[in-house]
Amino acid sequence: MWQWFFRLGSPKWFYEMSGKWLPWLFVLMTALLSVGIVWALLYVPQDYQQGDTIRIMYVHVPVASISLACFPLMAVAGVITLVWKMKLADMVAKCAAPIGAWFTAVALATGAIWGQPIWGTWWAWDARLTSMLIQFFLLIGVIALRSAIESTDAAAKACALLSIVGAINVPIIKYSVEWWNTLHQPASNFSMAEDSPFGPEIWVPLVIMIFAVYCFFVISLILSTRNEILERERRSQWVVDLIADESTK
Amino acid sequence: MFDNIQFASVGEFFQMGKYTFHVWSVYGLFAVFLFVNLYKPRMQRRQFIREQRQKALRDKQIAQQSAEQERVEALGEGQ
Repeated sequence: MWQWFFRLGSPKWFYEMSGKWLPWLFVLMTALLSVGIVWALLYVPQDYQQGDTIRIMYVHVPVASISLACFPLMAVAGVITLVWKMKLADMVAKCAAPIGAWFTAVALATGAIWGQPIWGTWWAWDARLTSMLIQFFLLIGVIALRSAIESTDAAAKACALLSIVGAINVPIIKYSVEWWNTLHQPASNFSMAEDSPFGPEIWVPLVIMIFAVYCFFVISLILSTRNEILERERRSQWVVDLIADESTK
Repeated sequence: MFDNIQFASVGEFFQMGKYTFHVWSVYGLFAVFLFVNLYKPRMQRRQFIREQRQKALRDKQIAQQSAEQERVEALGEGQ
């Protein structure tokens, strides 16, 4: 039963498989993004209060919610690194940190641009905003910790621990809007009901954008993990062969 | 649903009501975000392969040179 698990942990196997997945993911992402963006920009009805700023939601909400996936991912990879010493898990964790920092920064920036006309302020020390800022600094912390430790194994262990501890912040971000009643609105309750204020013309494009941004997250994570694999395995024969093969092209 | 474009003209679309800056800066930022995170790893990969190829070439040259050196030295000892 564990065989597949350890085969998945083989960098070479992952490199080969992910090479096959990438074109499909790329097609899926492009299709979802095109439909989602056109729908959001052209067809979503203006909000009666917010006007056209409603269109900001279709970028802000997907990016912000996927930024929350990063720490749990790094924490799970951290546990795998600590328990089974699987090299691939650490490579994924290493590559996820800067991507997560990007997602968090874009979520904060788009939130600020949205907040300015709607709340009348770019920034407030609101629970949701502050916990997101903490996530950003935690991710910077993980990146800095890794670059500060020279030994790859020691860096892997230290970052795994920090990621597991840092994942505590994720439920805080998630429930911040319910626990503390401050500026940021709670998650909207989208439903299929006829009398729901959010009809399918609002939430269907949002769901499409969430899947599109998920595809993007997975693609960029796979791309940088593949680079990390080549870098760390550069002395093994399959990478040497691969580079010789690429050069002749 | 799709006969229902929210804007009467292209100009209105680009204007986005009162929120020209807000809407377009968010979508612009999103475009930059996508581009950077998809393009950067590709560039890094290309650079890595170039470096490794040069390194392999250099190692080969060094190996050839030292083989040559050994041959010359062996000749010198023979005389």
